[in-house]
Amino acid sequence: MSSSDLSRRRFLQFTAAAAGAAQFGAFGDRLWAVPKAAIPGANLGGEGQALVVIFLRGAADVLNMIIPYGDADYEAKRPTLASNLADGLLKLDDTFAMHPALAPLEREWAAKMFAPIVCTGSPHTTRSHFDAQDWMEFAAPGNRSVREGWVNRYLAASETPDASEFRALGLQQLLPRSLRGQYPVLAVPSNSGKRRAGKTLDRFEDFYGDGTMLEGGDSMMGPREDDAAGVVNSGRVTIETLRRFQQIVAEGERTARIREKSAGTTTVSGTSYPDSRFGKALRTLSVVLKAQEGVEVAGIDFGGWDDHAQEGGIEGRMADRMSDLARGLSTFAGDLGPLMEKTTVVVMSEFGRTVRENGNNGTDHGHGTTMLVLGGGVKGGKVHGDWRGLNDEALYQGRDLAVTTDFRDVLHSILGNGLGFESPKGFFPDYKPNEVKGLY
Amino acid sequence: MPRPKTSPPTPRERTERERAAHLLNRFAYGPRPGEIDRVLEMGIEAWLENQLQAKPASDPRLQSRLADFDTVDLSVKECVDYVSQVPLDREAPREEQKSARERQRQPRNELKQAVALRAVFSDRAAEEVLADFFRNHFNVSFTKGQRIYNQIPDYDRTVVRGNLWGSFHNMLAASARHPAMLTYLDNYLSRRPPNKQELKEIERRTKRKTGSEERAEEAVSIALQRGLNENYARELLELHTVGVDNGYDQDDVITTAEILTGWTVDGGRKGTQEFVFRPEMHVKGEKRLFGRRLSEDRDDGPGQGEALLELLAKDKRTAEFISMKMVRFFVADRPPQSLVDKVTRVYRKKDGDILQMVKTIVDSEEFWAAENRRNKFKRPFEFVISALRVTGAEIENLRALENYLNGMGEPLFMCDDPTGYYDTAESWLDPGVMALRWEFATDLAEGRVRGVTIPDTFYAQVPEDVPARLWQHYLTELILPGGAGERTRAALATVTSEYLDRKKVPDLFDFGPTLVGLLLGSPEFQQQ
Repeated sequence: MSSSDLSRRRFLQFTAAAAGAAQFGAFGDRLWAVPKAAIPGANLGGEGQALVVIFLRGAADVLNMIIPYGDADYEAKRPTLASNLADGLLKLDDTFAMHPALAPLEREWAAKMFAPIVCTGSPHTTRSHFDAQDWMEFAAPGNRSVREGWVNRYLAASETPDASEFRALGLQQLLPRSLRGQYPVLAVPSNSGKRRAGKTLDRFEDFYGDGTMLEGGDSMMGPREDDAAGVVNSGRVTIETLRRFQQIVAEGERTARIREKSAGTTTVSGTSYPDSRFGKALRTLSVVLKAQEGVEVAGIDFGGWDDHAQEGGIEGRMADRMSDLARGLSTFAGDLGPLMEKTTVVVMSEFGRTVRENGNNGTDHGHGTTMLVLGGGVKGGKVHGDWRGLNDEALYQGRDLAVTTDFRDVLHSILGNGLGFESPKGFFPDYKPNEVKGLY
Repeated sequence: MPRPKTSPPTPRERTERERAAHLLNRFAYGPRPGEIDRVLEMGIEAWLENQLQAKPASDPRLQSRLADFDTVDLSVKECVDYVSQVPLDREAPREEQKSARERQRQPRNELKQAVALRAVFSDRAAEEVLADFFRNHFNVSFTKGQRIYNQIPDYDRTVVRGNLWGSFHNMLAASARHPAMLTYLDNYLSRRPPNKQELKEIERRTKRKTGSEERAEEAVSIALQRGLNENYARELLELHTVGVDNGYDQDDVITTAEILTGWTVDGGRKGTQEFVFRPEMHVKGEKRLFGRRLSEDRDDGPGQGEALLELLAKDKRTAEFISMKMVRFFVADRPPQSLVDKVTRVYRKKDGDILQMVKTIVDSEEFWAAENRRNKFKRPFEFVISALRVTGAEIENLRALENYLNGMGEPLFMCDDPTGYYDTAESWLDPGVMALRWEFATDLAEGRVRGVTIPDTFYAQVPEDVPARLWQHYLTELILPGGAGERTRAALATVTSEYLDRKKVPDLFDFGPTLVGLLLGSPEFQQQ
């Protein structure tokens, strides 16, 4: 198939979805409904569980996060990047230690709510960032006909008549791909709660109305009834959900301020969110989750992990990013408090990197990766996954971590245990459901 | 200010105006005030002919603005020298450090501004649109870090803009050897692993320097890790030429990387800062790729890599991939296969001549077909620039604009992913994004975008004797020359009657901005 066929097909699917939604009012009915009263817990999906998907874009070098310091081949394969316990690694067991930049997560590790799963990944061995990300976020490796994110499919499949109108959020300008699809999900940059956007939304309501395109009158260039790009629909969804979001954030911030005043710290746990895009996104998310208005899933992208050069070991560019990640996650977990038992955070990346460093103090595209799961009743305080070591025979093509746990096993386990969702047959295409042993 | 008298266009004129508007939407980021009339005066063919040729923009105002920038025309070396005139001394007082840091960022900031200013003001905007396409195809990004700041201005000028009127092969070859691309995708680091003799030399030198066996051993093991960096090779195949998964595998990526070893930058303080081929980094020997033999350059030069780029540029898959992307960019997110085939044939017959490909697109039925008009969702950059153009906005500085582009997710030259910014609606149309566009639309119209104003002359295009209840029609004609849909017209009418109920003496300069903000935020204006 030529690439043009391919993109043609992708597009057809996308517009079919958009047009279908417009035609049957799938967006409309839901969104015009009056938001339910704020009864804490009453309108949460399922039992009030929530899922937060954090995607490390660029293929994070997980061997520099959950570090196999005890592996015989580790130091030899990474002469400049390797570090050991004497360098300050935080020991997890006889094989693995955490990078010191992840120190904030020691608390969650000790509380047994933090579970790394090593040697996870996709059965597809592409080393293209973009294919790998798509396929992981659509949870359909190698399958180019699936164009909806797995989280979006979850939303569609788990919808109940009394589900909140406001179930999912992308905490950035553009949605992570796992949240994209027919089910309406709002993209909210961290400041959109504060904008004088309320007035703007009112103004444009008449222009985007109820989501149907009217015939363009006397002009052939007028808007066309099929709303090819889905602009009108998108506008209307924006108005409805953003209004609700602003309301929730305003209320949540008010409560948070009262608490902060009395406690004297940013969060309950005494730690503070990093002043980064990631930190701000998590802070907003915690406000929204604590408001208990029925938000069930959220996605945050964290970019910049493609460390081909100057990655750094104990200190350096990657360490700075890990520190941002760990401070954010740990603060978030502390901030949510008891709610964290019902909230699962999963941190994933499209693939791992080469086991050997590349001579530029960096690593190239590899295969197996590590997924991090936090909260939601996961059995933490233990490194999960089937680790086969770093000697050449154990590696994929003699260079990369082999994948011993399908990433869909992790997602399947989280959906089943963390969210109480039994995925229907074919939810993950071409996949035989399998739980990660001992994760729950 | 006197306002000209106009009468509504006849149906025939309207069709012609719509054609001109379509052309300007796709080849000029939309019309500037009066531009549709100018296109019609010249004739559509003549306008296009005039646009699609190597010739500098002539607008003196634009030229004088561009003349304010010190760095946009500098070579990499000149830029490095310019920046180092104010060296950064971490011991120095804070003020001095600040000015040094500003100097470091100057090339980046000036280039972003120059690109935006050209897009808004150039009388040869087709060149800007075409540059936009290739800038994303051969993406490089300031996010790579400070080293690349001094490289991208030259890259944009010489690689992208300098090759628009030539062949795809030329641009590909220029990108491959430009320091910005070599840096962005790490090829400048890629080399063959060291041989025994070199390792011995490293061991001997380190021992002499440090007197420590252990350190010498360590140095050797570090050196042993040096080698291929596959980053550029992979994206060269996947994104720049044949397209992802298109009949190549990991071995081909490695072969491609090996061929390109030694393609690096003569960096360092005394370096030329230009491309240099270092034979000592090159993996020597004949290579085989896609069933072709690529022999070693006999003069120890970059000949093997050059042959590779030629091979890739001539590959049928490359022709198909580039043609598909171009048609998608200029015609429709769902590129009509008939036209893709036509453009592919032109690519193959005319050696990837970019101009011939563009002309094939504009001359096609598909380009002008009703279903392909106003069917492309504007990227944030296209949206912002077209709003500034259509309102004839005056720009004092672009800082505030950049914030809006950041907010919408498309800051210039900041796309971390080598894919460049996507050009299809699928990638941009998330719920929530619209709010940022509405905010920009109303802020611009109501004078809240710092450094940018819509001049009174814009409103003066509405004839003086037009009653207030009809202003909306005239402003619609100016901002949406293709006309507005029923819903938009009805919504504008409601807003108008509310205003007229409120105000005894209606004032166009008071109410006009409200209408303009709504028009810029309307569904129709989001598409081109």
